[in-house]
Amino acid sequence: MSDFNRRDFIRIASGATLATGVLGFPGLLLAAGPKVVIVGGGVGGCTAAKYLRKLDPRIDVTLVEPKAAYTSCFMSNEVLSGDRTIESITFDYEGLKRHGVKIISDRVSVIDPEKKQVVTDGGERFPYDACVVSPGVDFKWDAIEGYDAEVAETIPHAWFAGKQTVTLRKQIESMPEGGKVIIVAPPNPFKCPPGPYERAAQIAMYCKHHKPKAKILILDPKDAFSKQGLFRQGWSKLYGFGTENSMIEWVGAAGGGKVEAIDPSTMTLQAEIEEFQADVINIIPPQKAGKVAFASDLVDGDWCPVDKMTFESKRHPGIHVLGDASNAAKMPKSAYAANSQAKVAAAAIVARFNGLEPGDPTFVNTCYSILGEEHGISVAAVYRLDKETNVIESIKGSGGLSPMDASDEQRKREVTYAHSWFKNLIHDMMG
Amino acid sequence: MQRDNIMNKTVRNLLVAALTLLPATVLADPTAQALAFTCAGCHGTDGSSVGPSSPSIAGMDPEVFVDAMQAYKADQRNATIMDRIAKGYTDEQIKGMSWFFAKQPLLLKPQKHDPDLAKLGADLHKEYCEKCHSDGGRESDSGILAGQWMPYLEYSMTDFVEGRRAYPRKMKRKVDAVLKEHGKKAQSALIHFYGSQQ
Amino acid sequence: MSKISLKYSTWFAFLLFIAVVFPLSATENGVATLLGEEIPHGFDPKTGKRIIPNERCLTCHGDEKQQTDVRDDGSPVKIFVHRKEIEASVHGEQSCNSCHVTIERVPHRKAPAVIVGCIDCHKETWDEYKNDLDGKHDRLKVVNEQIDSFMQSVHAQPSKLDQSQTNATCYDCHDAHNVGELGSIQRAEKRLKNPEVCGRCHEKELVAYKTSDHGKAVLEKGDSESAVCSDCHTTHDISSPESDKAKRAITKNCGDCHEDAQRTYFDSYHGQVHRLGYTNTAKCHDCHGGHEVKGADDPTSEIHANNRLENCKVCHTEANENFLTFWPHGDADDRENYPGLWFFKIFMQILIFSVMAFFWVHVMLWLYREVMDRIQGKGFIEDMDKPDIVYFRRFPLVWRWIHGLFAVSTMTLILTGTTLLFSHTSWAKAVVVFLGGVEMEGIIHRTAAVIWLGIFIAHLLIAISNIWRKRDEFKWFGSTSMLPNMKDARDLRDMFKWFFGKGPRPEFSHWTYWQKFDYWAPFWGAAVIGTSGIMLFMPEKTALFLPGWMFNIATLVHAEEALLAAIFLNSVHFFNVHFRPERFPMSTTIFTGAIPFEEFRHDHSEEYERLVASGEINNYLVRRPSRRADLAASFITSVLIMAGLALLTLVLIGLATSPN
Repeated sequence: MSDFNRRDFIRIASGATLATGVLGFPGLLLAAGPKVVIVGGGVGGCTAAKYLRKLDPRIDVTLVEPKAAYTSCFMSNEVLSGDRTIESITFDYEGLKRHGVKIISDRVSVIDPEKKQVVTDGGERFPYDACVVSPGVDFKWDAIEGYDAEVAETIPHAWFAGKQTVTLRKQIESMPEGGKVIIVAPPNPFKCPPGPYERAAQIAMYCKHHKPKAKILILDPKDAFSKQGLFRQGWSKLYGFGTENSMIEWVGAAGGGKVEAIDPSTMTLQAEIEEFQADVINIIPPQKAGKVAFASDLVDGDWCPVDKMTFESKRHPGIHVLGDASNAAKMPKSAYAANSQAKVAAAAIVARFNGLEPGDPTFVNTCYSILGEEHGISVAAVYRLDKETNVIESIKGSGGLSPMDASDEQRKREVTYAHSWFKNLIHDMMG
Repeated sequence: MQRDNIMNKTVRNLLVAALTLLPATVLADPTAQALAFTCAGCHGTDGSSVGPSSPSIAGMDPEVFVDAMQAYKADQRNATIMDRIAKGYTDEQIKGMSWFFAKQPLLLKPQKHDPDLAKLGADLHKEYCEKCHSDGGRESDSGILAGQWMPYLEYSMTDFVEGRRAYPRKMKRKVDAVLKEHGKKAQSALIHFYGSQQ
Repeated sequence: MSKISLKYSTWFAFLLFIAVVFPLSATENGVATLLGEEIPHGFDPKTGKRIIPNERCLTCHGDEKQQTDVRDDGSPVKIFVHRKEIEASVHGEQSCNSCHVTIERVPHRKAPAVIVGCIDCHKETWDEYKNDLDGKHDRLKVVNEQIDSFMQSVHAQPSKLDQSQTNATCYDCHDAHNVGELGSIQRAEKRLKNPEVCGRCHEKELVAYKTSDHGKAVLEKGDSESAVCSDCHTTHDISSPESDKAKRAITKNCGDCHEDAQRTYFDSYHGQVHRLGYTNTAKCHDCHGGHEVKGADDPTSEIHANNRLENCKVCHTEANENFLTFWPHGDADDRENYPGLWFFKIFMQILIFSVMAFFWVHVMLWLYREVMDRIQGKGFIEDMDKPDIVYFRRFPLVWRWIHGLFAVSTMTLILTGTTLLFSHTSWAKAVVVFLGGVEMEGIIHRTAAVIWLGIFIAHLLIAISNIWRKRDEFKWFGSTSMLPNMKDARDLRDMFKWFFGKGPRPEFSHWTYWQKFDYWAPFWGAAVIGTSGIMLFMPEKTALFLPGWMFNIATLVHAEEALLAAIFLNSVHFFNVHFRPERFPMSTTIFTGAIPFEEFRHDHSEEYERLVASGEINNYLVRRPSRRADLAASFITSVLIMAGLALLTLVLIGLATSPN
């Protein structure tokens, strides 16, 4: 009694849970531990898999992902500048396997919340005690006339890092001197809010050395975007933004930046006010939750509503939806956010398996953008959940952007911290 | 037996009191572990950073951790991002995280370094630094230096030397002395020495 | 449920309460957890305080090569702590910051305030362990006594220069890193360092001490047996040397080493009054010097022959060369060095022993005889049917007054004199306090002495004038004469025969032989005690014509003779007059002046026959004293007897407990 501590408490509490737990989870007695099936091998899915095993090694974790390797979207703009190769941002799932996670190479077609089973295209069924769904985003193909998945093979969105990223890189490389690149930015909400603007900088970084007369135009259906001030400052410092010779131009909604159609044969974009023609076009279409979320009736509108205490679906209990597909307002759709949410969900699942109430959640988001070889900027936020409104609020006084007018030294350091952020995030989710 | 009953009543009453107070007084307060998990994206899983520059915080002395976080929180330490993040935590949360990280094993990765410089650094360390950063900089109560990521050490030392970060007591004297005696090379030598350690 | 688990259950409930209401479960409640996280290794799980291994402190503070550091203001500060010393010290198992409580982490970020709370820790630790049977903490009892002494001492008083500090505190004297176990080398070393430690503040005293024999022995020869400061001044119970308490303590402490010197000192007048608490007399350091004490051969010594008189003159302002022959440490038992003194002591002791032996044998035999007579129905027995109504007038008023005053002044002298003689006893100290101090006692003694001598002389004058008036008919060896005669010798012989049942009780004249002894004894006493007393009364005048050692002899004989008188009067005289069965419980004749007629006839039968034959008897017959006069006389006699017996008791206690 004298040494009664938290560990004892948990032990006793979990002992007490066994009685009730057996009723709730019939599989418990037979299998080594409760089963969790994870749908999607991105940041959310991988992090959840790893942390579930870390928090409670009894749990049997199965991750279902069709791709054999993961290519990170974050740091993929750096492939466009040639700063990185696509291989340097591609990782296999061996790390997760070392943590005892079973990797199933298949695509999930649907989740059956009644039977508590995950069904794959291959026809396999994986029963679960808890399911984690982290499918990422899907595109609204019909938003821009003339643009579809097939066209996207040649006019890439490159918004899922991989083949299209390399395609886009090659198109830029083979573009004539003085050529023009157009990036079509998506409307909110979309994943990686600073992504299109960092992309512009990364392309400019390449062009500055190899095609100094090239132009990069961003057509944007919005009037404002993430880290806007910092981007404008960085662009102007590095690429003459705001001058007549600016390498980067940005056309917002007010300037007719909304693109309505594309003619792939002429490489012409029909925007609200005028037409734009370019040598290379990169269209990032509007987004919605991944396919499986729709197939499994997890969405309300474009996104999946969740209880932010646990990220459990508000539509089907026992299924936790993480990352870009979830409606995690006011967190952005970012890798770091998905990583943070995955840990909250994992802890909640472990607590439930042990008969405990979930702990209060805490979230962080950090996001780095690299505008030049020695120019990094960041945004950070620390969040808490307002339980009454189910809104994740940024803690007052905390977070925010890198300061404007920071010294070169600070900007340079942020580049190395961006690389650290990338490496550590990858390592934390699957290493 | 009667005693037990009285006791049980005491416990019950205390619990009832605690529960009735609950809704009025409790703010959402995540566990230290949950808070610490959110750091992993930059500082590595459980605080062991895989580099290249953001520092490892596993095994960090809890008071050094609190000092650092409080300094960031109060804008008293040069930061790129930590000032913004530290402001999101209460003093208790910072302390709780410090306890969490103090208990984590520090996993080090080999770093590229110049062995000759590292050798010189080892001598300089012994002469100027070992008393506080004892055990070759492994001692945690003054901040673990051994095996720390070299760019981070470089930033920290530069901040000290260029006056962007306040020296801990006595450190200035030693740094001034080593730089005066051995020149700018001393800083690199020390960093290569710490970076060389596993 | 056991009592203990009951206690913990309540605790647990309380902790749960705390944990629910406050995210930080307060560390003082026994289990340090914070937001579900337990306190990490290296911190005390109960107090939450950092555990700092001593090794960590010694990294800097144990570096012999860098024993000093520089403060923030640039001033140097000694930081070195001897590793081996601390490990070997009684505090070796303590952690550094259990005393240096302000150090909460290492390296300490700020310049630490040196705050060490010795007293509370030692008190608390003693309180915690005092009931332990293993005895490991027994020494703490002494430590706590020393703490109490310290708290009373001048060192614990606020400094006059800085009221925020005491004059001295624990670590000013104790090198806490180097407090050795009893009997350890460290303690011996600490002893040798004691003068240096005290001298940090008491600089002048250290300079003087260095020149002294003590100082040379300790500081130059490393002799830890010689006196260091604390031997004389005590370690913790330190008062200003101006205080009586300190003076007494210092004098007493000299005797811890100089036993003979102290014994002989306490035998001297100076020592006696000092021992009674009077400090305004010559003490060790008054003559020998305090810090600069040296041997008599050293010309700079205060007791060197050339310098000694100066010391005497401090008190005896008119002291002359003769004072130099006074033996301040004269030892009557030391025949070799003080043969004169020894001779007088032997002489006086033979006198006392022979007188007392003779008379106590006399007393015992007399008692035996009267008891035997009584058993056999013989001897003087009061006839209850015919109480005396006629008395014989034995003493005129003047003699009654003279005896009364003589008795009172003698007793006063005995009381005040023996307090000095037996100054070692607690009754002596109590008497001195009762009388109002040694000085008052001296005044009373001298006043009583003047009265005593005055009465003695007055009596002589009256006696001479009486004889002068009767010069024609006075028979120098007649029955009423006090001069001893042959009949007294015969009576003594016959008395012993009677004692042994070999003859009748002698027929005594007006004065019996024992009464004559009682009468003449004070003549001897007056001569011895009076002469020596006057010499001691006026030392400076006496020294004008007598050598200093006469004071030693005077002190000796004054005391011995007084002792003889005190014992004789209060035992033998009391028996002869009051306590023998025929007289028991008392005779009041000396105060009423009259003796019952039958008693007179029995005791002084020869004189009775003579008076009857000459018809003079009628001149002496008086009426029985009034009842009031009788009661008054009984009362006075009783008081005097009681006082006398009390004095005898005190004297016997003094003799029995005498250290010599």
